[in-house]
Amino acid sequence: MSRIPAKLQRWFRQNRQALLWVVISFSCLLAAWQIASMASGGRLQIPPPLEVFQAFFTAFVKPIGQNTILEHAAISLGRVLSGFAVATVVGVVLGIAMGVSDAVYAIANPIFEFVRPIPPIAWIPLSILWFGLGSANKVFIIFIGSFTYITINSYEGARNVDPQLIGAAQMLGASRLRIFTKIIFPSAVPYIFAGLQIALGVSWAADVAAEIIYSQSGVGWIITMGMNNGNYTQIMVGIIAIGVIGYLLSTVMRAVEGRLCRWNRQAK
Amino acid sequence: MKRKKKYLWLSVLSVCAALGVWELVTDILQLMPSYMLPSPAAVVEAFIYKLTGGVNPDGATLWQHISTSLKIALGGYTAGVVIGVPLGIAMAWYKKVDLFVKPLFDLLRPVPPLAWIPLLILWFGIGYSAKVAVIFLSAMIACVVNSYAGIKQTRQVHIWVAQTFGASDLEILFRVAIPTAWPMIFTGLKTSLGSAWMALVAAELLASTSGLGYMIQMARQMGRADIIIVGMFVIGVIGSLMSGILDLLGKKFVHRGGSK
Repeated sequence: MSRIPAKLQRWFRQNRQALLWVVISFSCLLAAWQIASMASGGRLQIPPPLEVFQAFFTAFVKPIGQNTILEHAAISLGRVLSGFAVATVVGVVLGIAMGVSDAVYAIANPIFEFVRPIPPIAWIPLSILWFGLGSANKVFIIFIGSFTYITINSYEGARNVDPQLIGAAQMLGASRLRIFTKIIFPSAVPYIFAGLQIALGVSWAADVAAEIIYSQSGVGWIITMGMNNGNYTQIMVGIIAIGVIGYLLSTVMRAVEGRLCRWNRQAK
Repeated sequence: MKRKKKYLWLSVLSVCAALGVWELVTDILQLMPSYMLPSPAAVVEAFIYKLTGGVNPDGATLWQHISTSLKIALGGYTAGVVIGVPLGIAMAWYKKVDLFVKPLFDLLRPVPPLAWIPLLILWFGIGYSAKVAVIFLSAMIACVVNSYAGIKQTRQVHIWVAQTFGASDLEILFRVAIPTAWPMIFTGLKTSLGSAWMALVAAELLASTSGLGYMIQMARQMGRADIIIVGMFVIGVIGSLMSGILDLLGKKFVHRGGSK
């Protein structure tokens, strides 16, 4: 046992109860799943867990449709990241400009408030008419979905600057540009990251929805194909892949936020 | 988001400019074919047509679509709230429940609820139940997360005070923890209403025979962008109406029990 580092040992000791319960609840889930799959039949089919996991790992080497599961994942991720990147640039610039300037706010806000309540999914039909059936329409949906959250949060961040800080900087003779780069932007960063975190989740959901509704590749396509062929196992494989990617995306985003906003956490 | 009234004219100008550009690229310069982007006038015309009982091209009036959609959305949402809020509270208050349910919940959470739609459609058909189930799932998750976080915010000192005065565990939960959590629970209700509405649109786009999502999906297949825009507009308006009503209720009830 001496090979296990002391840190890990301590972690295990501290979390023994929680770990035990994780094992218990997962075993209950697997047992319930197994029983349900044996009891199911007809339309309400539930494939057994082992078959689903087998199919999931087989999909890494044996393609579903034209691509292996990793290629489908890469296609979906590419769409999400391109839509998200454009939305980040546009959203942060627009949000901060709205926060800093009354004129920009007056111009952009009425249109923004008009577009905001429409769920990104509702853009899918129009997006298909405008951008065709390929990747472009998904990128557009993802952009629409994440753009609103990023804009609102950047706006809130730029508005919620401590006025005393700005006053102090003005008194010390800082120029407007300097106040912006040294005070307004840094204090908006935690808000922006909170927005990015939500937006990334929404992007992923929007991409999955767009792929389920119409696509020829990507993890959402795996599910739709499964539905059209009545292949329950393939649907479950797709859902697992979507969950894993969703988890990775939010974990990575949190790690980036932890790195870049470390100063903020220390201040709290 | 109240700001200075000084620039009101700019707001008016910006809306006019947006409409002007829209009119310019459609009717006047004809840069966009009408099946992709109809003129503002055409959209208004389509809206009035659907509103006053027109049934083309999807076989039902706007009111019929709205009532189908609302029925499904509110049904699933209510179920999600009724199960999600108590579950979140129980998870936060009882350690055993937390330890057992949390791992399962964490497993479920990274999957966007929309991903379950195809499976649910295979299981329950394209009728009400599959859609209600998807909406239930999307609404429940936000309810659980927020109620859980709200209860966890309870100050230990408050609990100690209640214990010193001899309150039972249940009394502390209902008199101290839940009132503390009210504002967070309410945030959960609002967030889940938004996700429920989005899930409804997704489910109706994929498989249904009526409802607002179905209306815009049919309009796409027939290249009727005017109907699509009318549908998107109605979806947006109903979404903000519902969240406005919830806000009003929140102002009335949360104030009394809130932490501030």
